Amino acid sequence: MNDAPARLAECFAAVFPELKRGDIPRASTATVAAWDSLASATLLAVVEEEFHLEIDPEQLEDLQSFDALLGYVTCRL
Amino acid sequence: MSPTTDSAKPPMTLAQALRLVSENPPQSASDTFQVALVCGFTPLHLQTFLTASLRRRMPAHHVTVSTGMYEDIAGTLRTAAAQRLDAIVLVIEWADLDPRLGFRRSGGWSPRSLPNIIEQVRMQLAHVEQLVAEAAVRSPLVLLLPTLPMPPLFPTAEWQSSAFEAQLRASIASFAERVSSNPRVRLVNDQKVNAVAPASARLDMKALLAFGFPYQTPFAAHVAGILAEAVENRAPKKGLITDLDDTLWGGIVGDDGAAGVSWDLEHHTQGHALYQQLLDSLAEAGVLVGVASKNDPAVVDEAFARPDLLLSKARVFPIAVSWASKAQAVGRVLKAWNVHAESVVFVDDSATEIAEVQAAHPAMECVLFSAEPAAVFDLLRKLRDEFGRRTITSEDEIRLESLRQQSAIDPGVAAESAGYSETLLASSQATLSLVFSQDADDARALELVNKTNQFNLNGKRFTSRAWADYLSDPSAFLLSAVYTDRFGALGKIAVLAGRVNGDHAHIDTWVMSCRAFARRVEHQCLKALFERWPISTIRLDYVDTTRNGPLGRFLDDVAKRSDAGMVVTKSDFEAACPPLYHTVLVTDGVEHERCARTTG
Repeated sequence: MNDAPARLAECFAAVFPELKRGDIPRASTATVAAWDSLASATLLAVVEEEFHLEIDPEQLEDLQSFDALLGYVTCRL
Repeated sequence: MSPTTDSAKPPMTLAQALRLVSENPPQSASDTFQVALVCGFTPLHLQTFLTASLRRRMPAHHVTVSTGMYEDIAGTLRTAAAQRLDAIVLVIEWADLDPRLGFRRSGGWSPRSLPNIIEQVRMQLAHVEQLVAEAAVRSPLVLLLPTLPMPPLFPTAEWQSSAFEAQLRASIASFAERVSSNPRVRLVNDQKVNAVAPASARLDMKALLAFGFPYQTPFAAHVAGILAEAVENRAPKKGLITDLDDTLWGGIVGDDGAAGVSWDLEHHTQGHALYQQLLDSLAEAGVLVGVASKNDPAVVDEAFARPDLLLSKARVFPIAVSWASKAQAVGRVLKAWNVHAESVVFVDDSATEIAEVQAAHPAMECVLFSAEPAAVFDLLRKLRDEFGRRTITSEDEIRLESLRQQSAIDPGVAAESAGYSETLLASSQATLSLVFSQDADDARALELVNKTNQFNLNGKRFTSRAWADYLSDPSAFLLSAVYTDRFGALGKIAVLAGRVNGDHAHIDTWVMSCRAFARRVEHQCLKALFERWPISTIRLDYVDTTRNGPLGRFLDDVAKRSDAGMVVTKSDFEAACPPLYHTVLVTDGVEHERCARTTG
C-alpha cells in the first residue's frame, strides 16, 4: 500500500500548522504564503527525516508543490 | 540505566518538535519564559528544537525563543543584554571567531595566515567575553563552545594535531575558564555533548552551504536538549537513601561479618568503593545521605566502624537498620529529614525492594544498583547529575549537622507538631537575623522559594527573571531570616516577599525550611513586619496546596479568613503570639526613598 501521500501530508501539517488538511494536496509556494526559503529548508529536513531520503537542495526549485514532492519521494521509495 | 535527561534519550524528530512548537500553550501556562538564542548561523532547526525542548521541560510556562541577525553574535548579544530575559543561550562555533574557520567564506587557508587566524580568534574571544559579562548582569547566560570540526586548514596530516590547532583550543579553554567563574554563566560541559554525538555526526555540509545551518538534524535535537537542560537548571535532589548489603559494600554483612564485606579490586568489588566515594563527596557537598537496611543494627555498627570505609559514618544520617520492611525504613529516614519523597533517590540492589519502596513512595526515584562495572559508571554519572550543584553554600555545609541537632534536642518532637517545650525554647539562646532588602540576586532566597513545600504560602514558584521583576516594584520588599542557637546554625531558613501599601502589607510569598519548624520564627517574621512599617493589617495570599498544612495550621492560630484572603491584624497577632525568646538582629536594606514612597 502506498502510504506516501498520507506521510507527506503529515510533513506538511508539521511545517505549515496553519494549513487546513484539505488544502494540503493542493499546497504550493504559490498558494501557501508561509512557504518561504526557510520553510523550504524545514520541509526538506522533515521529508528527509520521514522518508529516510537525502534530497539535494538544488532540487528544491523543482519541488515547490505537494504534488511535485510526492512525485519525487514516490520515485525514490 | 543512564542519566534521565533529554540528551540521553533518542532525539526528538524535527516533525515532533514542530508540532510541539505550534501547539497552543496549556491554559495553565500563565508565565512567559523568554529566551534569546544568540548564534552566528541561521538558527533554523536549533531554534525549533530549543523551543520544543523547553516547552516539554516547562509546561507551566509559555516559552518563546527569539533570535537575532545572521553572523552577528555581538549585535544579538548586545540586544539581549539590554533586556531582562529568563535566559540567554549563546552558541559559538569556530566560524564566529574567524570566518576562515568556517566553510561559507573563502578567505584563504594559507599556512602563512594561521598566526593571524589565531590572533583574530583571541581578539574575538576577548570581545565576546566582555559582551558575555555585560549580558549576564541582567539574565542568566548558557554558553555552548564550538562543537563542530575545524576545517582542514592546518598543514599537518589529519591524524596529527598541529601547534596552531593546539593554540586555538588553548584559547577556547582559557576563555572557558574565565567565563565559567561568572556565577551567572552556565557553561555547557563538552563531555555531555561528546556523549551524545561523535564529531562525525555533527556537521551537515549540505545544509550549511545551502541554508547556513551547520548541524545535522539529530545533532541539533541533542544540542537543544542539553541547552534546554542548562536553561531550566532544575533544583538538585536533596537526599539519597542507600541500602547496605551488595550496594554500599559487596557481600552480606550478617553472613560474612563486618570484616568479610568488601569494596576493593582484590575482591572484584571496586564498584562499591566508587559508590561509597561518590556518596561521601555528595554528603560533603550538602546532600543528605541516609541508610535503609534490613539488618542487625549491632553488625552494621561494626561495619561502619571499619576505618577503611570510604563513606564516613559521620556523614550518614539517619542509619535506619531493623528487620522492618524497607519501605518503613525509608519512611523513617524521610521523617528524620522532613523531606518529601520527590526530592530523594533510593538505591538498592534488590528489584523486589525497589518495587516495594516505589509503591510506598511513588514520587521517589528508585534506582537499582548493579555491580556490573559499566552499570556502576552509569549510576555514578546519574547520581552526580541528580545532585549536581554549582556551588556549595554555607547552608549546604551545616544541613546535616542541624538535622542531627534537631533530632538530638528532642527526638520525640515531630517537625510539625506544636513545638518544643517552653523551657527548651527559652534556653536555646536563639538568634534570628532578619534582613529587609530588595535583593533579587540572593540565590539562596530564590532557592528556598522554589523548593519549599510544607511551609509555603501558596506554592508559587518564580523564574529568576520573574523574581527580579517582582522585587523591582517600588512597593516590594524581601525579608529573609537566618537562624542560629546554642545547638548550631541553621543558616538562611525563611523568606518572605510582599508589598506595603498604606496601612497594610500584602504577603505574596512566604516559605520556611522544615528544619526551622516549631522555633517560632514565623511569629518573629510577622512581628518584624508590624514593627518595620506603621501597618495595622497583613494580608496573605494563602492557597491550600495540600502540602502546606504546617503553614495553614499556623495561620489558623493568628489569621482570619476574609474576602481579601487571610488577614492578620496587629491586635489579633499580639493576642495570639506566644512568648518569643530570640535575640533579633534587623538589617534594613530596603531603600529609604522607596520606604518613604510606599509608607506615605
